[in-house]
Amino acid sequence: MSAIGPTPPAIAPRLPVSQAFLIDNRRCIGCHACSTACKSENEVPLGVHRTWVKYVEKGAFPDTRRYFQVTRCNHCASPPCVPICPTTAMYRRDDGIVEFDGDACIGCKACLQACPYDAIHIDPESGTAAKCHFCAHRTDVGLEPACVVVCPVHAILAGDMNDPSSEIARVLANNRVTVRKPEQGTRPKLFYVEAEESAITPTLASQEGGHLWSQLPRGEDWRGPIQIGAGRMAGALVRSAAAPRETYNAAHRVPWHWQVPAYLVTKAIGSGMFLVAAAGTALGLLPERDPFTSSASLLALLFIALTTGLLVWDLDRPDRFWKILTRPQWRSWLVKGAWVLMGFSAVAALRFVAQFSGGPSGLSRALVWPGVALAALSAVYTAFLFAQAEGRDLWQGPLLAPQLLIQAVMAGAGMLAIVGLVRGVTLFPVGAVSWILGAALAGNLLLTLVGDLGRHPTLVARTAARMMTRGRYAPHFWGSVGAGVALPLALLLLGRGSLPVTALAGLLAIAGLFLYEWAFVMAPQQVPNS
Amino acid sequence: MKPFDAGPRLPTALGPQETADGVRMQQFPPAEAWDDWTEWDHRAWPRKIPRRYMLVPTVCFNCESACGLLGWVDRETLEVRKFEGNPAHPGSRGRNCAKGPATINQVNDPDRILYPLRRAGRRGEGKWVRVSWDEALADIGGRIRSALQEGRHDEVMYHVGRPGHDGLMEWILPAWGLDGHNSHTNICSSGARAGYAFWMGFDRPSPDHANAKVILLISSHLETGHYFNPHAQRIVEGKLAGAKLIVWDTRLSNTASMADTWISPWPGSEAAILLAIARHLIATRRYDREFVRQWVNWEEYLRAEEPGSPPTFEAFEASLETRYARYTFAFASRESGVDARVLEGIAEDVANCGGKLAAHNWRSAGSGNLGGWQVARCLWFVNVLTGSVGVAGGTSANAWDKWVPRPPHLPPHVPRWNELAWPREYPLSFFEMSYLLPHFLKEGRGKLAVYFTRVYNPMWTNPDGFTWLEALRDEAKIGLHVALTPTWSETAWWADYVLPMGHGSERHDVMSQETHAGRWVAFRQPVRRVAMEKLGRPVRRTWEANPGQVWEEVEFWIDLSWQIDPDGSLGVRRYFEPPGRPGERMTVDDYYGWMFEESVPGLPEAAAREGLTPLGYMRKYGAFEMRAGAEPEFVRPLAEAERAATRVDPATGIVYTTAPAAPAMNIVPTPVFVAGALGRPIGVMVDGTARQGFPTPSRKLEIYSSTLAEFGWPELAVPDYVRSHVHPDEIDRQGNEFVLLSTYRLPTLIHTRSANAKWLLEISHSNPTWIHTEDAARLRVATGDLVRVETEIGHFVDKVWITEGIRPGVIACSHHLGRWRLAEGEGTSRMASAVVGLQEDAGRWDLRQVGGVGPYASADPDTERIWWTDAGVHQNLTFPVQPDPVSGGHCWHQKVRVSPARPEDRYGDVHVDTGRAHEVYKRWLSMARPPRGPLRRPHWILRPFRPAEAAYRLPDGGLPDAG
Repeated sequence: MSAIGPTPPAIAPRLPVSQAFLIDNRRCIGCHACSTACKSENEVPLGVHRTWVKYVEKGAFPDTRRYFQVTRCNHCASPPCVPICPTTAMYRRDDGIVEFDGDACIGCKACLQACPYDAIHIDPESGTAAKCHFCAHRTDVGLEPACVVVCPVHAILAGDMNDPSSEIARVLANNRVTVRKPEQGTRPKLFYVEAEESAITPTLASQEGGHLWSQLPRGEDWRGPIQIGAGRMAGALVRSAAAPRETYNAAHRVPWHWQVPAYLVTKAIGSGMFLVAAAGTALGLLPERDPFTSSASLLALLFIALTTGLLVWDLDRPDRFWKILTRPQWRSWLVKGAWVLMGFSAVAALRFVAQFSGGPSGLSRALVWPGVALAALSAVYTAFLFAQAEGRDLWQGPLLAPQLLIQAVMAGAGMLAIVGLVRGVTLFPVGAVSWILGAALAGNLLLTLVGDLGRHPTLVARTAARMMTRGRYAPHFWGSVGAGVALPLALLLLGRGSLPVTALAGLLAIAGLFLYEWAFVMAPQQVPNS
Repeated sequence: MKPFDAGPRLPTALGPQETADGVRMQQFPPAEAWDDWTEWDHRAWPRKIPRRYMLVPTVCFNCESACGLLGWVDRETLEVRKFEGNPAHPGSRGRNCAKGPATINQVNDPDRILYPLRRAGRRGEGKWVRVSWDEALADIGGRIRSALQEGRHDEVMYHVGRPGHDGLMEWILPAWGLDGHNSHTNICSSGARAGYAFWMGFDRPSPDHANAKVILLISSHLETGHYFNPHAQRIVEGKLAGAKLIVWDTRLSNTASMADTWISPWPGSEAAILLAIARHLIATRRYDREFVRQWVNWEEYLRAEEPGSPPTFEAFEASLETRYARYTFAFASRESGVDARVLEGIAEDVANCGGKLAAHNWRSAGSGNLGGWQVARCLWFVNVLTGSVGVAGGTSANAWDKWVPRPPHLPPHVPRWNELAWPREYPLSFFEMSYLLPHFLKEGRGKLAVYFTRVYNPMWTNPDGFTWLEALRDEAKIGLHVALTPTWSETAWWADYVLPMGHGSERHDVMSQETHAGRWVAFRQPVRRVAMEKLGRPVRRTWEANPGQVWEEVEFWIDLSWQIDPDGSLGVRRYFEPPGRPGERMTVDDYYGWMFEESVPGLPEAAAREGLTPLGYMRKYGAFEMRAGAEPEFVRPLAEAERAATRVDPATGIVYTTAPAAPAMNIVPTPVFVAGALGRPIGVMVDGTARQGFPTPSRKLEIYSSTLAEFGWPELAVPDYVRSHVHPDEIDRQGNEFVLLSTYRLPTLIHTRSANAKWLLEISHSNPTWIHTEDAARLRVATGDLVRVETEIGHFVDKVWITEGIRPGVIACSHHLGRWRLAEGEGTSRMASAVVGLQEDAGRWDLRQVGGVGPYASADPDTERIWWTDAGVHQNLTFPVQPDPVSGGHCWHQKVRVSPARPEDRYGDVHVDTGRAHEVYKRWLSMARPPRGPLRRPHWILRPFRPAEAAYRLPDGGLPDAG
């Protein structure tokens, strides 16, 4: 009988299961068995990867070394891919596994923007999002993930980190560990023992040296090596042959293309036209005149319809767009934004009908401020959606919402002038409209310069900004600033009061807005997250 | 007959497992559940759809490590869903390298050869007609029969690349009366084998990495080689347990990146460094004196090398100290370019290994350099000095950790000697002079009536491939070329028959490798056949269960042998009848059933405990562990029964017996000693006890090799440093000459067979030429630029990849890539090969890529997602044969001149002059030293398919003194 006596039963409740990964770089030999085992277990198509092994080399001969990093989803405790998903296709299980349901996914690719780790891809067969899912179909029957089983050197551990008797909990407790991008607040549950800084921080290793035994796919669809000016990266170390360089990595496709900047423009026009016309007349800035204001409502509707069309076109499963309504995930600004757009469309339609059936009525007037609020929200909700995109730091700036609002006013005023010119509207309030357009242009210019040329809180944001202002998107950016803001401002100053000049300024502003959004949407997608 | 729908319908959750490191989930379902295991369908997930499988163990076929695999056979569709590891396999322990899971790609390749093919047009024209197996057997069998009847035995040859089996052809070829085996070994490991074998008789090491204190690799075993996966497991285990990992590799391999100490010596200087370490151990008196005194043939050494000296161990020590005094760290540093202090640090680590030095030289320096065999020899010298032979944490001989079960029939040794494989010039060559075959045919040394290339692609994998092409296309030199292969290759294109043989999950084989301190046998089996038979659907021939009519060799050889000798009158057929049932045809169950019953000690007992037959046990588990832990067999005292009829030679201490040798159950290749006047040597006296010793002439570890002395190399009878053919003095660096290191391999590929493994190719498909930053600057080339690399017989054009991971003055290009095909549709897999045009003008060949890799439509939608375009560059074509005069191993390193590509050069261009190639062959041939005595070759050293003793004698009594 032990003198110490039996242990009294535990009183504190057991913590819930929290499945986690640990990659032990003291062991990893970079053999890629985990990569092929995962391809086999989950039948992953060519061109996309749920897990891969990144290679980074550094040092000058003979002090050269290669470092391996097994890279995949971190099954974050606060996964940003979950709140952004509009259809609950991406969700977090009670056991901490971040899982996805291919049947629910509409292929909007918001999760690819939300993930700061390049963990998610679109499966080319199904057009739906996919990623490492911890082999939950195996763990549910008590089997370890395929990558854990195959690894010749047992470098990958998977298990319940909340169970102190588990292998992974013991290794976590007894070793110094590192996670990827802790500052993102995602609380990753994939821990590295002996991580290498230049591998774990994606922008630190040069991507210009080529891979040691593979090509990099090239083309508009693929994210290329970082190009800023002459290709310089952060740090003087980059210029030496000993600098860290990537010698193998998985390639990633750019998720969003021209449809997104296009929809930002059409949405700005649609919401902006209503905003300017309705608010303008209600505030007395603009005369309330048919068919001027009713055409604004109708056109706003049409542009919002165009916006919706572009949004659906961008989906990789456009046949499933209705799922955003039947199984909404309410934290997502895609869902909230969809309802905002629908609400705005309803109000704009009612107002159009009310006006069309003859002059200003009580209904028409009553709908003004709700309409204006919904129009403003339609314009700016993208800022809240982009704020959910933890993978694109540049999109998360605080100035984005006011900038979108100003851009909407700018685009709306511009389009009103164009419509007025085209329709030959007599008594078009050109003075007021050009004043509004000019003010919006000036505001946009100020926010652009402050927002994009100023300081950025993270290296990722700064890299994206520099790619936009000095790299491959510099022509778009400066084109938009020059031809899309400065030039129309000058035109307005010179030709104030002339409808053709105002309409031209409006056209330039809208074209410039597209160029700007193009740069703004594409540049951050070119910054590697892995 | 078991009904299909018996068994559980829903998955049952497995409980956790307690391990020494903590609680884990399970890795595999238990073996008891393998016949009927239900999992959730991975594609329907998170919808829960159960799928029922039968898990059938087999062995991977993608390298010689013989790792275990479990094939998941869908019980409903009988399709193979995937491969995972086999937890019952003691070597691989349930884990695999990247190539293991990718086996499913090779099985499902929509372009794989599914039916026997015969060429319809001219050789190499690419026209094929499907034939039946019966037609092929009749034709081939008929020709072999004629050859045997007409005494043209030497015209039948079986040339193997990847064996993937133990002991099989030793049954087949001698049954036909042939000395007709040829292999690939001497473009691979001959150098290292020779180095080990001159010491101890056995030709391969078996390091115990897991328990070592110092792990010294002149290899890249964390990414490739024999035996990559199982060795890597234990190297990392050992390292995490505190072992120091020291890696020598001129190139920064992945293995080098994991080392505690990595050095990049100038190629060929490794033996100098090893001797500096040896000198250090000797000079500082930190070696295992007792071990060396007891087990090294120092007395013989003194008699030969120090004739006036007293026969004392102290005199031996003094002689060693004098002999190796010049191998200072400074000297080694001058030869290698490595800082002397680093070399001294390594020597200190070795000195402190406490007898636990696990060391390995597989290819690397052993296969790259003239005299490369001395690298392994000097490495073993260090093992011997540290006393780390056969002990836990040290290095054993392969034969102690390997078991090749005796088959039902082992025909007697053949009284023939085939000089096309074993030419007179190379009496000490380890394995056949395989890559010289086309040169021998060119010289008219012989011709072949029936030539099998079996999982062998000499035109691509060997040096001097165009000389192979010239031989292969010549019907006067090669009458019938039969390619036995699972996949198309550059060589198979020039065959007359292309016969598809199964992949790792589609065939039977038995394997055993020295993967660690222990011993096991494993069983490769056709998983669909096994599943079908378990589900009550009998299968007569494996091709009924494989895709198309893909077959397997064992059944093929049996049927072919019956074709060769249908009525048994040639004396061949009886070896292909099951024991005890004459007149019947042997089946695979007969063959393996007998083997497992009679030749694997411990297996029948283990099977009986589970109520299984031995064959049933192996079909269930796929592997059997015979022993765990190191076993220094040389120390074993001779048993009383063995000592009954013995006499001891007082001069040498060797114990001889007159008792006849009992047939061995383990037929692992072991040196054989003919009985002399005193009888057969079976042991040696060591400090008064009769012990087994080593299978060498002295029964001890031979620091002095009388064999080397007697067969033409007295100056190399003791371990020494041989200057490589690419020694720095040979390389004009300022003139942009370099050493081209071509033998480096990738962790994801395997020479010919991985070309249709899409997951492997996606990861690795380019072989740029690695070049150091300062060399690139001098040449004014940047990464991606093209360079022309000129060898003695031609040149190739490749892009460069600048790296700090290689020694200046050395360039490297992987010979795992550079596949090509001559036609758009057929030939080497489209996902890995470039379509090329070939031009020839009187032996001057030009190869140019016409199209690269691209997406294509097939039954697999993935082939349309191929995103890479590179097939790599085929450098081996430009390498002349460079046979080491002692080991016969091809010296792979090439002295090359590099220049920026010329305007007319294109990526992938190859130019070769086969006339010049033949001149280079003759020059290297002249370095060989033919035997001066009556024997072609020392009888005792290993020689696969050892002929009868009489065949060893030269017919003309020996050549005149070559002088």
